Amino acid sequence: MTVTTDLPGITTVLGISGWGVVSPYGLGADEFTAGLRAGRDVTVDAAELTDEPVPHPRAYALAGFRARDHLGRKGTSFLDRRTAFAVLACRQALADSDLVVDDDNRERVGVVLGTSVGSLQSTSDYSRDTHVQDKPYLVNPILFPNTVLNCAAGQAAIWHGLRGVNATLAGGGTATITALRYARTMLGRGRADALLVGAVEEYTPHMAWAGSPGSDGAPATAGGEGGAVFLVEDATAMRAAGRTPSAEIVAVDVAHTGAGMDVATALAGLVRRMLRDAGVAATDLARVLSCGAAEEERALDATVGRQADRSSVTGVAGDCPTAAGALQVAVLLAHHRRTPDDGSLSLIVAGSPDGTVGAALLRGTGHGSRNHR
Amino acid sequence: MMNRRVVVTGLGPVSSIGTGIDVFAAALRAGRSGITPIASFDTTGFVTERAGEVHEFQPYDMVSRIDPAEWGRSSLFAAAAARLALTDAGALDVAAGSARVGVCMGTTSGESQVVERLTEHWLRDGYRPTPRSLARQMPAGRVAEAVSRELDLRGTTTTVSTACSASNYALGYAFDAIAAGDQDYMIVGGADSVCRWAHAGFYRLGALAAERCAPFDRDRAGVITAEGGVALFLESLDSAQARGARIYCEVLGYGLTCDAKHPTAPDAASVARCMRLAHRDAGIKPDEVDFICAHGTATPANDAAEYEAVREVFGDRLPPMSSVKSMLGHTMGAASGFSAVAAALALSSGFLAPTINHLTTDPAMPGLDVVPNRARPAQAQIVQVNGFAFGGNNAITILGRLA
Repeated sequence: MTVTTDLPGITTVLGISGWGVVSPYGLGADEFTAGLRAGRDVTVDAAELTDEPVPHPRAYALAGFRARDHLGRKGTSFLDRRTAFAVLACRQALADSDLVVDDDNRERVGVVLGTSVGSLQSTSDYSRDTHVQDKPYLVNPILFPNTVLNCAAGQAAIWHGLRGVNATLAGGGTATITALRYARTMLGRGRADALLVGAVEEYTPHMAWAGSPGSDGAPATAGGEGGAVFLVEDATAMRAAGRTPSAEIVAVDVAHTGAGMDVATALAGLVRRMLRDAGVAATDLARVLSCGAAEEERALDATVGRQADRSSVTGVAGDCPTAAGALQVAVLLAHHRRTPDDGSLSLIVAGSPDGTVGAALLRGTGHGSRNHR
Repeated sequence: MMNRRVVVTGLGPVSSIGTGIDVFAAALRAGRSGITPIASFDTTGFVTERAGEVHEFQPYDMVSRIDPAEWGRSSLFAAAAARLALTDAGALDVAAGSARVGVCMGTTSGESQVVERLTEHWLRDGYRPTPRSLARQMPAGRVAEAVSRELDLRGTTTTVSTACSASNYALGYAFDAIAAGDQDYMIVGGADSVCRWAHAGFYRLGALAAERCAPFDRDRAGVITAEGGVALFLESLDSAQARGARIYCEVLGYGLTCDAKHPTAPDAASVARCMRLAHRDAGIKPDEVDFICAHGTATPANDAAEYEAVREVFGDRLPPMSSVKSMLGHTMGAASGFSAVAAALALSSGFLAPTINHLTTDPAMPGLDVVPNRARPAQAQIVQVNGFAFGGNNAITILGRLA
């Protein structure tokens, strides 16, 4: 006998009070919003990023990015690229928000970051050193924490003095949605008051090769890097305090295909349930954003249909699923920042090659940025 | 908000001291060591060459839906442990095809051996071509996805990568999900694999022991790197009672804190705060805790900070506090999951797992009872499970005997 329930679960609406973004379209919400609007080609020659061969000559990448140019010299020499992106995006999100973090609340403010494998350059180079140094143990102890997947979230907490819930979730293209769902649970269960949620990824030859379908001879696409971080709080609590979120995540969920591995069907089922529970019709959706996979498009064909205003984030993120997942949300927030009187609904979807599917519903509030408060 | 009671009804360990809950429990009772000479990589040139490897792991015998050739070792550990836990819970029929069953698995380094093999390939042959079949196995998110695919589970599937406290994070997330009604059942735990780079890194940090892991001992020398997979099956108390399941223990609550101070050095004040959060969440007072399954890595710094924090929170009355790492070594992302299994056994089977390899309790730790060398018969009512990690990621869970 089984007990199956149809409970509401945690229904906390996430209010986004600020955000940061690291993208070749721009650093920070304002630059990124302007960059998207300009719509220029932001791909760079991969040779500007690495001397190694790469599967595709172009990349949606931050050529010339140096952590110390943005974070200062102190403490930046041992940050890997991914960690530097995370620390910077968190700093931008905090600066973009009206939330003041101080000794009264820093134990209630935390970080929840998505990843795929952490910094592959850090782990692979460390592994490499065990083979090429005179002795296999002659690795650099200072760099050891960089090999662990939670390095970026831990460093973001150190840099910004955030002692609340600190988590790292691995999920590649579904990592940001997974992180938002985790954050909703933490806020809904009263375990934190505010969380910096997002995902970042680095472009290195390691990641370009390991992540590219071109690694076995299939046509490669331009790589990518970057990501985004959103400061999320309980939207109801924000309003009670006289604050207005710049946007709200009204629903977010993650599911899996199970053994069947039919990503399109599982994602369609998730989207259908989400729209039904939120009382939202497909025609209510102003925008629908996917990460560009064929399975995602099939799920959208079956749910929101071809009439919906659909696009894919691949033209912003390149072939970089972890960054793409975060940039989906950033693209929507950029829209609301440009059009602050727009209270429209948007849907984002993502799927992983191993069966995880996720979706989220985002609503504008008419206050695209703190300038409108 | 709805608040259901959450219980543990299935346990699945895949470890260097035994696979399956009966063998594992017997090994804990006997104080067996799983530390042996390293076989998974060539130790030539290393100064130390022992680890807690699961030599007997036969994934082809343990998983039935996923193809071991397509998955890394950590994912296979997770899938195998999860199948054991679900079987132990008598819940195979409950789970298959259900969207009400979620998965949350912890890992420190994900598929570290896959990254090592890719790195060796790149060193030898360059980047072009990079073997796709290997690269596909690399994402750490596959650790939880392997479980969902192996057992046909369709609920939320999450891999937590908060290093060596990741299993406790997973247990906490599952507790919240079931208590609040987001999911009805959760498989939680963790998995990691022994790898060269971690062995080298801990050595260079001065945190690697050569022979044995001796937590809280005056002469402790550090961790022994180790591996394995562990899973626990969680459901609501109502569900467990309705299907007549054997209940190991109840999950009473948990706490999370972040040091925000140093990437590797532990912070006793932050750990103490985590304990207080966990106690408050569980609705208990420190003097109700009968036993602590310590993080107990046996590095000088960890054990000193852990003792200091326990002293600060518990005062002069310290509960017995032992570390299963003395037997298993440091299984990284699986570590607090194995500790949670030891806690579940303390609550259900009436014994406290020992700290083996114990000669002299650190004289800087007065009043500490590490349950030295031999398991102790005792009926614990409430057990605290400590998990700490690089990145200052502290997670503490509280388990209780079902009242």
